[in-house]
Amino acid sequence: MRRRLALLPTTVLGVVLLVFAFLHLVPGDPVEIMLGESAAPADRAALRHALGLDRPWPEQLAAFVAGLARGDLGWSVTYRTPVATLVAARWPATLELAAAAFALALALALPLGVAAAVRQGGTVDRVARWASLGGVCVPGLVLGPLLILAFSIHLGWLPVSGRGGPAHLVLPAATLGLGMAGILVRLTRAATIAALREDWVRTARAKGAPPWRVVAVHAVRTALPPVVTVAGLQAGALLAGAVVTETIFAWPGIGRLVVQAIGARDYPLVQGCVLVIAATYVVVNLLTDLLIAWLDPRVRDAR
Amino acid sequence: MRASRALAALLAIASACATPGDRAPGLVVALESEPQSLDPRFATDAAASRVADLVHLGLTRPRDDARRAPALASSWVQPDPRTVVFHLRDGFRFPDGAPVTSADVRATYEAVLDPTLASPKRGALEMVEAVEAPDPRTVVLRLREPFPPLLDATGIGILPAARARAAGEVSEGAGPFRIVHSDPGERLVLAPNPGWPEARPRLDPLVLRIVPDPLVRALELRRGGVSLSQDLPEPELLDWLAADPGLRVRRRPGTSFAYLALNLRDPRLAKRRVRRALALALDREALLAAVLGGAGRPASGLLAPEHWAYAPASLPGRNPARARRLLDRAGFPDPDGPGPQPRLRLVYKTSTVATRRRLAEAIQAQLAAVGIALDVRTQEWATLYADVRAGRFELAAMAWVGVTEPDLYFLTLHSTMTPPAGYNRGGYANPVMDRLTMRARREPDSAVRRRLYARVQRLAARDLPVVPLWWEDRVVVHTARLHGFEPTASGDLRGLADAHLE
Repeated sequence: MRRRLALLPTTVLGVVLLVFAFLHLVPGDPVEIMLGESAAPADRAALRHALGLDRPWPEQLAAFVAGLARGDLGWSVTYRTPVATLVAARWPATLELAAAAFALALALALPLGVAAAVRQGGTVDRVARWASLGGVCVPGLVLGPLLILAFSIHLGWLPVSGRGGPAHLVLPAATLGLGMAGILVRLTRAATIAALREDWVRTARAKGAPPWRVVAVHAVRTALPPVVTVAGLQAGALLAGAVVTETIFAWPGIGRLVVQAIGARDYPLVQGCVLVIAATYVVVNLLTDLLIAWLDPRVRDAR
Repeated sequence: MRASRALAALLAIASACATPGDRAPGLVVALESEPQSLDPRFATDAAASRVADLVHLGLTRPRDDARRAPALASSWVQPDPRTVVFHLRDGFRFPDGAPVTSADVRATYEAVLDPTLASPKRGALEMVEAVEAPDPRTVVLRLREPFPPLLDATGIGILPAARARAAGEVSEGAGPFRIVHSDPGERLVLAPNPGWPEARPRLDPLVLRIVPDPLVRALELRRGGVSLSQDLPEPELLDWLAADPGLRVRRRPGTSFAYLALNLRDPRLAKRRVRRALALALDREALLAAVLGGAGRPASGLLAPEHWAYAPASLPGRNPARARRLLDRAGFPDPDGPGPQPRLRLVYKTSTVATRRRLAEAIQAQLAAVGIALDVRTQEWATLYADVRAGRFELAAMAWVGVTEPDLYFLTLHSTMTPPAGYNRGGYANPVMDRLTMRARREPDSAVRRRLYARVQRLAARDLPVVPLWWEDRVVVHTARLHGFEPTASGDLRGLADAHLE
């Protein structure tokens, strides 16, 4: 595990290098986007110098990495504000949305997947299979507006967009979480079905253990590690997928900030946002591994 | 039984969470994107100018005919072509109660002109040699040379003199509203500026909410979470909103000019006959109907008919037979008659905006009818912009938003104004055009300027350095409870200071 921890800064640094390289390969120039085309060459040069964009790009990269080591993410070109301030203002909104979507996906997927496995071929199973297929297939871009139409416009239960109380969280979390729930339902079902066929489950049944205990203790415990692995990977994808959901629901998160920053070629801001997203992704994966080790004695003892 | 009880409980929770009708007190205006800055020294994006309409006060502001209307300045005179004297109105105050004086104007202009501040607005004021404040109610701008277009740059919001050179964001203005709260990325809450000398604005609070998705802006209008929106380009959404008795859909003739940019460095497009054939192949009425649901007027050039310098110029209507004849004469005969092979093939670059993609398909179909094949390339905006500026395009769908000063003709068509100096991205060069646009930008007599620009417009309609498409209407959707608000061609929201909700 210590080795995994040591890999964390290396992974993040790799991400920084990749993002930096890609950003400088795409056409577009922040100075021209800000000043317009008719600005005097002297003004353009002055702004370029003020933003540090006149330095060779290995130097810009070195300055960024050096700043990073001091905990300084640099200044946003378009907002004229420290990147750390901007990211700190938006990050909680994205985390809140991703956490709600994650919780919703787990709350739906685990019971439904297990129930579908236990009553394999029954009504619950059929409903679960079709619903999960729908969840996987319908993209957020379509699902979001459909949910708004149903629950905000026709039923009038929930607000259309924006961030506020718990009511504001329901539709964006559902839009973001239902796709993940679809994947997890299918996975939980398959893993539980496999577990129910294991010898120890038959033994538990033969011993006369109550059916709920057979499922909950003997089968589900075995089925969980693959589900947790995929849920961990999906949690990372939630952070990235939040871009579409945040745009639809006018959610003031980091996903929208990064899209706006890319449009304006605000290099420091894009780097700062991607860095924070990547670091969170790595941390979530680390936590997932710890959880699996705790759940699965084989992994735990292999240390 | 248990299931239905659980469902009932869920519904109860949901309705308890719901905010009934979402009707917030005050007025909620939807903005498409977040203003990048609220500081008049730096703000250049469209969302920031909508906030500036409400919070800041400049010497002058634009009228629908693109002349300047009094704002902080009640009047101005030009004792000689290189001097403009502004007389300031009494009674304007910053939110802290301090009166707005000529010292504030001078400090703001000098700060913007200072190269060390690196203000993106310095270029617009670079003809200003000195700013003088002989008394608290008079400002004198001394120019390096006669330059009538300068007035167009006098809308910059005035900051308190003590803060004009402050580092960081300065957003205190003397407009009708002041900013009382801001949630980054989400909303700005405005309240009336107690120092506003005219009738106290009745919209309190006035909330500006950032809602990036056009469909969601429409849904918010229907639901009441947003009470005014100006950025709804899709005609289907407008029809749906117009059906709601609680909403009013209002249109004003707009000043935004959509056109096809042509790269005249391409030997095929350098031929006027080919450019003319392109114009003759297009049915602009049909394009307007298909793309904007008719919310615009076919354009003859950059300046809309409301503009003070507008002169009618005749542009050919759709005539495919003539277009084919012109292409024949230009050296592009049809290789295989009614067969599939085109006379020439051009690359058409456009942005990813839905209406622009729709336009590309419609133009592609109309040009195919005269034997011109289009390869459509859709690009993210910053990439498209970089390509067009660098001359990496043949045809591109572009627009000028909020056309005011006709000096734009100089910046777009003068042969020296190719990027990076100006906006002549197509590399158009005509000595007559050069002479006319240069004379017009220095001519102090506005009647003479007008005659010069009339010739410019006729010459542009004949030479077709770009193919004009349309002037897009300004469409505003707002709650029927809003009264006293007059939409403007430029999208200026200042009228909200005189509006109220019933």
